[in-house]
Amino acid sequence: MVEETEILNIVYSLATSPDFERNGICFAARSSGLYRSEDGGLTWQDAYASLALEVPLTTVAVAVSPNFEADRSLFAGVPGGILRSVDGGQSWHVASFPPPPPVVSALVVSPNFARDGTLLAGTMEDGVFRSGDRGEHWSAWNFGLLDLNVLSMAISPDFANDETLFVGTESGIFRSTNGGRAWREVDFPSDFAPVLSLALSPTYADDGLLFVGTESCGLFRSDDRGHTWTRIGREAVTDAVNSILLSPEFPAKPDLLALLSDALLVSRDGGQSWLDWQAGLRPEQGMASVVAPRGLGPGAPLLVGLTDGGVLQI
Amino acid sequence: MNSMPGSKTRRVVFQPTAYRGMQRGINQIVEAIRPTLGPRPRVVAIDRTFDDKMPELLDNGGVIARRIIQLPGRGEDVGAMFIRDVLWRLREQAGDGTATAAVLFQSVYNEGVRYLAAGGNAMRLHSYLEKGMQVILDHLTDMTVHVAGKEKLAQIAESICYDPPLARMLGEIFDIIGECGRLEIRPGRSRGLEREYVEGMYWERGLVSREMITDRNRLRTELENAAILISDLEIEDPRQLLPAIALCIEANIRSLLIVAGKLSDGVIAFLLANKNPEKFQAIAVKTPGWGADEQAAALADLAVLTGGNPFVRMAGHTLSQIKLEDFGHARRVWADYLNFGIIGGQGNPRALREHIATLRASFDGTEEPVLREKLLKRIGKLLGGSATLWVGGATELEITERQELAKRTAAVMRGAIMEGVLPGGGVSLLACRPALQQKLDQSTDPDARAAYRILIKAVEAPIRTILTNAGYDASEIMAQINLAGPGYGFDVTSGQVVDMMQTGICDAATVQKSAVYAAVASAGLALTIDVLVHRTQQPEHATIRAPSKRKRL
Repeated sequence: MVEETEILNIVYSLATSPDFERNGICFAARSSGLYRSEDGGLTWQDAYASLALEVPLTTVAVAVSPNFEADRSLFAGVPGGILRSVDGGQSWHVASFPPPPPVVSALVVSPNFARDGTLLAGTMEDGVFRSGDRGEHWSAWNFGLLDLNVLSMAISPDFANDETLFVGTESGIFRSTNGGRAWREVDFPSDFAPVLSLALSPTYADDGLLFVGTESCGLFRSDDRGHTWTRIGREAVTDAVNSILLSPEFPAKPDLLALLSDALLVSRDGGQSWLDWQAGLRPEQGMASVVAPRGLGPGAPLLVGLTDGGVLQI
Repeated sequence: MNSMPGSKTRRVVFQPTAYRGMQRGINQIVEAIRPTLGPRPRVVAIDRTFDDKMPELLDNGGVIARRIIQLPGRGEDVGAMFIRDVLWRLREQAGDGTATAAVLFQSVYNEGVRYLAAGGNAMRLHSYLEKGMQVILDHLTDMTVHVAGKEKLAQIAESICYDPPLARMLGEIFDIIGECGRLEIRPGRSRGLEREYVEGMYWERGLVSREMITDRNRLRTELENAAILISDLEIEDPRQLLPAIALCIEANIRSLLIVAGKLSDGVIAFLLANKNPEKFQAIAVKTPGWGADEQAAALADLAVLTGGNPFVRMAGHTLSQIKLEDFGHARRVWADYLNFGIIGGQGNPRALREHIATLRASFDGTEEPVLREKLLKRIGKLLGGSATLWVGGATELEITERQELAKRTAAVMRGAIMEGVLPGGGVSLLACRPALQQKLDQSTDPDARAAYRILIKAVEAPIRTILTNAGYDASEIMAQINLAGPGYGFDVTSGQVVDMMQTGICDAATVQKSAVYAAVASAGLALTIDVLVHRTQQPEHATIRAPSKRKRL
């Protein structure tokens, strides 16, 4: 079943409530603002309605607290900073950033957010900002980050213990092992950059497995925390990889999804072979973002953000 | 006849008197340093009654050796000055490890003298000692592990400075800034330790005029999305600047930082007269660095960081040739009376990486300490941030000593992060015994066998000293350690035999290796000294020295 809701402009990012299966809450960040759905993406409302904006506020990134049911916190990356809501998007607060205003390109929330209140924001030109107080105050932490144009971020599922993060930039990949306070370059050939997407195994702390999607050089896999890399899907993955999703049971269930600009590819064997997941797009439509709130198993819903502003539920 | 009168000003001493004299001097220096080895060091007081001052309390072998200027006996003095020089050089080079080197040196020298007295050949022994030293160094290299994370780094720091609060602070700082990061250690105003992280890079050059300060509360000026004119030009006439300013205004650039070798009063007055932060603002600083080489390096770093092209006086550049692409750019620029900084330089990240890689290669390829320090400083600047540690204390003396300790610990930590760590407490040296024993078993040459036997005994000396200093029976504990197996040692704080690495008791590999090299190579060389020639009269330049400066044990 494919359903499409009519909203406008590019959907840069999608985020779902951790309890999506029960409450159907999800958010779409797009050129014309942030939209909220309470029915699994069938209908959408303007999440910035309380701001009564005269002009649309482009929203590039959105992230939901892993403890959303209790704290109702969500964060939206907009040109100039980050908006923070603690009531599920009903009202918003502007987080303070040092000038000049950054353009936020990626947002990640600590899996241990309920206790550590940590969020990180990747920006274009200004590197990484970090907040340790639930998004209220932010400061730049760019020690060792030699490229300040951040395109993608990924946080370790075991962040509470290993404090590990990766950022993909215009010219390579950087890793932090101290909660985003300092960065070291990962041995990833800079010729393969820009790095548009990153995904860590749910058991990264044990298996050190991560995937990287590039703009023009395909998809790469590392089984040793980024020390060595293998290109995967050489035949199938020939376009820019905008997003990578892993099954929550990975590597036991090695399902892997790669979102290209015009195709949705799925691998059921950790990237060895790939199938085109027929999304049923019109020729003029492109795909910009994807989220799988219940994993990648058969019958699990998949929300796909389109370049014309639509959101598909597959 | 062991010695004979020489000329009026020379006295020649032969064996065995020469060895005995040198041995006494070496032993005196080492016995003065020995109590400082280990986590429970005792303090050595240097008498300063000639200066009407309280004794200087020291627990660093290199400094203790440095304070001993002369011993009474002539032969003793030669031995003492020999080892003093070895230890001071080691301290300058590695920052630590002098007490370990001292006990190793003493063991090798004393056992070597015993062997030579029994008829051994000094030159051949020296040669085999150096071969044995290589066995030790190779084994230490094999045992080296690299460390990361603030807890591990704090453990290393504590094994160097034995100051837990300082160690924790340095662990956190180095976890953030990395081995090449820029760290300034300054005297603090409170009793404790404080640290601050500074975003971006900064250079020690302030604004050319106080009138350029716009934030009177913070006494600094900040520019956003600024263009940067990178040069060492001497700008005498405001008209020289006009092409650059015109280009900025045409390109709608509203902030300009001018880096120049010199600006005349007229140029400064011109910039101040045209100060209008609403429309266009230009501030100026002098080119960082002292001397042509440092300035050229600073210009190169600024250019790579900001994506600009430097204008260099020696190359005949003038601003009349300037093009828009010659300007560097940064998200933020700040300047105060003393420094200026750049945050978010918009140079090509790939070029920046290559530049840092070149500097790192130069750093690795040189042994010259001053050059290495300059290169490290440049790399640290380019890595995107710096840290400042303020060291406080109750008295000025306490602050100075703790500041010195922090600097020394930081230097050793850099080496430890770069080159890894080894099990501490003398365990890594002890672990070299099987490799040396194997060499001993394979050797048939008496001098070679003696050299390996000497080294097997020497590598036990540090751990025995640590145990004795902590008040334990070294032989009893050594038996427990041997029973526990490789990697195990004695934690004198808990009184337990433990896995040293897992417990976090470790030493910087570079320090351990430097100590072994300094001790064994120098002791081997000292053993080849067969004849001493003393002056019978003090040379004139030596008698000028004031008596109060001469320290005796």
